[in-house]
Amino acid sequence: MSLPPDYSNEISALDREILKSQPHDVLQFCANFFLRRLESQRAEFLLAPQHSSPKGRGMAQSTFPGNNPFGKSNTSAFESIEEDDENDVVASPTASSFAPAVMDKAHPQPIAEEDTFGNFGNFAGFSGSAGAVKPPQSQPPSANPHEPQSFPNNYNLNRRTSVSAESLNPASSANDNWVPPFHPKTDEQQARLRSAVAGNFLFSHLDDEQSAQVLGALQEKPIPTKGIKVILQGDVGDYFYVVEKGLFDIYVNPSGKLENGPDGLGTKVSSVGQGGSFGELALMYNAPRAATVVTAEQSTLWALDRVTFRRILMDSAFQRRRMYEGFLEEVPLLSSLTPYERSKIADALETKKFPPGTTIIQEGDVGESFYILESGEADVYKRGNSKSLKRYQKGDYFGELALLNDAPRAASVISTSEVKLATLGKNGFQRLLGPVEGIMRRNDPSKAQHSDTVDPLSK
Amino acid sequence: MIIGTGTLLRIVRTWLYTNLNAQIRKALSGEPAFSYKHSEFLGSPFKPLHILSKPTPPPQNMATAVKKLLHPHRSRDEEKSGHDNQSSGHDRQDSASERAREEEKQNLLQWEEQKQPLEPGQIDDANHKTIGQSSNVLRQQDFELIKTLGTGTFARVWLVRLKDTNNGNENTVFALKILRKTDVIRLKQVEHVRNERNVLAGVAGHPFITTLVASFQDRDSLYMLLDYCPGGEVFSYLRRARRFNEATSQFYAAEIVLILEFLHEREGVAYRDLKPENILIDAEGHLKLVDFGFAKKVENRETYTLCGTPEYLAPEVIRNTGHGTAVDWWAFGILVYEFLVGQPPFWDQNPMKIYEQIVEGRVRFPSAMSSNARDLISGLCTVDTSKRLGNISGGAGAVKAHPWFQDIDWDSLYYRKVNGPIVPHLRGPADTRNFDEYEPESAEREPYTQDMSNKWDEYFKDF
Repeated sequence: MSLPPDYSNEISALDREILKSQPHDVLQFCANFFLRRLESQRAEFLLAPQHSSPKGRGMAQSTFPGNNPFGKSNTSAFESIEEDDENDVVASPTASSFAPAVMDKAHPQPIAEEDTFGNFGNFAGFSGSAGAVKPPQSQPPSANPHEPQSFPNNYNLNRRTSVSAESLNPASSANDNWVPPFHPKTDEQQARLRSAVAGNFLFSHLDDEQSAQVLGALQEKPIPTKGIKVILQGDVGDYFYVVEKGLFDIYVNPSGKLENGPDGLGTKVSSVGQGGSFGELALMYNAPRAATVVTAEQSTLWALDRVTFRRILMDSAFQRRRMYEGFLEEVPLLSSLTPYERSKIADALETKKFPPGTTIIQEGDVGESFYILESGEADVYKRGNSKSLKRYQKGDYFGELALLNDAPRAASVISTSEVKLATLGKNGFQRLLGPVEGIMRRNDPSKAQHSDTVDPLSK
Repeated sequence: MIIGTGTLLRIVRTWLYTNLNAQIRKALSGEPAFSYKHSEFLGSPFKPLHILSKPTPPPQNMATAVKKLLHPHRSRDEEKSGHDNQSSGHDRQDSASERAREEEKQNLLQWEEQKQPLEPGQIDDANHKTIGQSSNVLRQQDFELIKTLGTGTFARVWLVRLKDTNNGNENTVFALKILRKTDVIRLKQVEHVRNERNVLAGVAGHPFITTLVASFQDRDSLYMLLDYCPGGEVFSYLRRARRFNEATSQFYAAEIVLILEFLHEREGVAYRDLKPENILIDAEGHLKLVDFGFAKKVENRETYTLCGTPEYLAPEVIRNTGHGTAVDWWAFGILVYEFLVGQPPFWDQNPMKIYEQIVEGRVRFPSAMSSNARDLISGLCTVDTSKRLGNISGGAGAVKAHPWFQDIDWDSLYYRKVNGPIVPHLRGPADTRNFDEYEPESAEREPYTQDMSNKWDEYFKDF
């Protein structure tokens, strides 16, 4: 005859606790243990979905907590759920953010914090001996200081689907010399496209070069007649479209996909005309289309596919990082960085552009940042000498001793052409890797003391 | 260049259930006769009930006494299983490979009964680790499929029991993840699946990561044998409770920090799909991270493939500027927020609007959230990776040192000295009540053709 599995399970849990706590008063310990298990099992049972009716919860409140002389249940994991559901103000189904009145960044509530931390030690359930059992604690206040809150009720509570785009591998792109497609456009068309995508966050972060490549890659797609479905709801999405001319109607079928029959399109929700765009989610990954788009007249579109778009972004990011890493390897001050650290710094370098004649660093100022010249040229001047001492070109760097100390800049650097610089401040560097002194001391302890006296602009 | 046009395959994978596999504890396994010695030798602090150490200290004696009193059968079972393991060689099979299989099955059984977490140094020691190996002899027929624990587009996870073993204990169960090669290829997930197996093999033994006990394959499927984690998803508990209190959130968050610290700083792995759906609760209330479908060894190189879950994507993933382990710290901030608030900070019905909010990176906090929690989340959910907590100087150590975690004893957490805040109530180690019901597997299946085999077997050969 075998014992019920529930029982065996409880006993092994007790075994573990006994081993862990090694109590003096074993009987008391076991009694406490079972009381706790009972309490937490009941609490969990009542939290189960089928018991979450207001009645059930009322019972949970009145029967279990506070009834137990041995303190809170060790499964005090669940916040009291009453106040939530009751206070949930029904938000508009389209509201996407919290009501401003209850959201604030600036005013934390210290009471809640203190008490919940106090409660924290309790999660282990019980401590070593019966004597150490904590007095009953009230419900953590964090359960209550919630003012009437209006979290949007429309949040999708289901399991969320993972998404994944095509695998992009920069290593192979370096070999096959991929060049983005280029479709010529008139200046006017360019300008229209530029303003059409200006409001789209996927485009607003692009630098000039990326932006030119992306706009160049847009391909013209004439749609000869009215009534053509350009994208189908529920279908796979690979292209993003900008309207060059014409008019498009957008339909949504509540079923989530285009159906057969006269009403298969669903309801018309809006129209898009010149300068408008649609299908941008396709630039992220292959998600089912959210709507059907039909031409209302003869029209022309610009189309851009995801792989081209993401590859343009990837290639330029990849090249820039490798270039920065290459530059950084040349800086003796940073020679002891590991490849990992170098790649972190490369990631953190910020690109800045200056017109010709800009004073990038000023002799006598306190140095804050370190610069690498990415393109263009700049001259070095010393006070009292109108002649340039040196000319910096692509890959040259200056101001790196600012990472090390606060000594004033020993010379000025002025751009002679338009320059593109990669720069990182002392704060940024230290935030990422800690003090430079420490990094330099790794290799050669004497080096750190030595370089304090080095001219900030010498190499 | 168009990818993925022809087929109606959705790269949006319904991968979500893919990995509802489960585990209880991590472990040493292997050669029955040596495993005790092994753990003794390494002085594993995880040593559970086995009281083999030299002079047994009195408290443990007492524990044994209590255990025997309360449950006399159990210790006898333990002794018996010990004997059987040593005598398993007696059972002669006809062929050598049958013997090898039987031996391997015994090893699995023994592992499952004795599993315990490994020290970080042992996890890394691929030469001495007996878990996470690819097996040439195991077959699907060695397992009795009991119940589906989860499903995905190209994978299904089953609760399984070893068949026809000498001392088969019906409570010794595993989770078996079965992937159809055809679907893996069709959904262009070959690389991800390879990454998954390799990363899981490398990290097997960590106390809070699903243990890959073994992997094997047959002509048209890939199999990953994992330990079963009977508590179900943190997701289910969170949705049921609406949100977790601060103590519970801290406990779970802290275990996740240990996972990320290990993955990033020891293994160079970015996990890339952190969310409550991928975190299971084990029998003792500790967490197990599952579904390594997007995990990748990145080390010091950035990577570019967009993957993850919309609400949890980091800004650099959306902008495609190259990403690394820092994406996990971002997602960790979102996770802590979701624990405390009940939903993630960036949400909209329209996914593009979510991404717009993420890239902007302005997190709004409910007024009731403690200032420490806000500060932690703000530090993690920082758009600029060079300022993001976890990615900056100090790495995971800086996260652990954050005041929100001031009450966490990190060592005792790793060694599982405290029980988790939710200890599931189970009828036994094979209880599946914490998992949902799933539709039965559809009978029609695309065949894995000879052409496919010629082209792809190469990629699966190490599985």
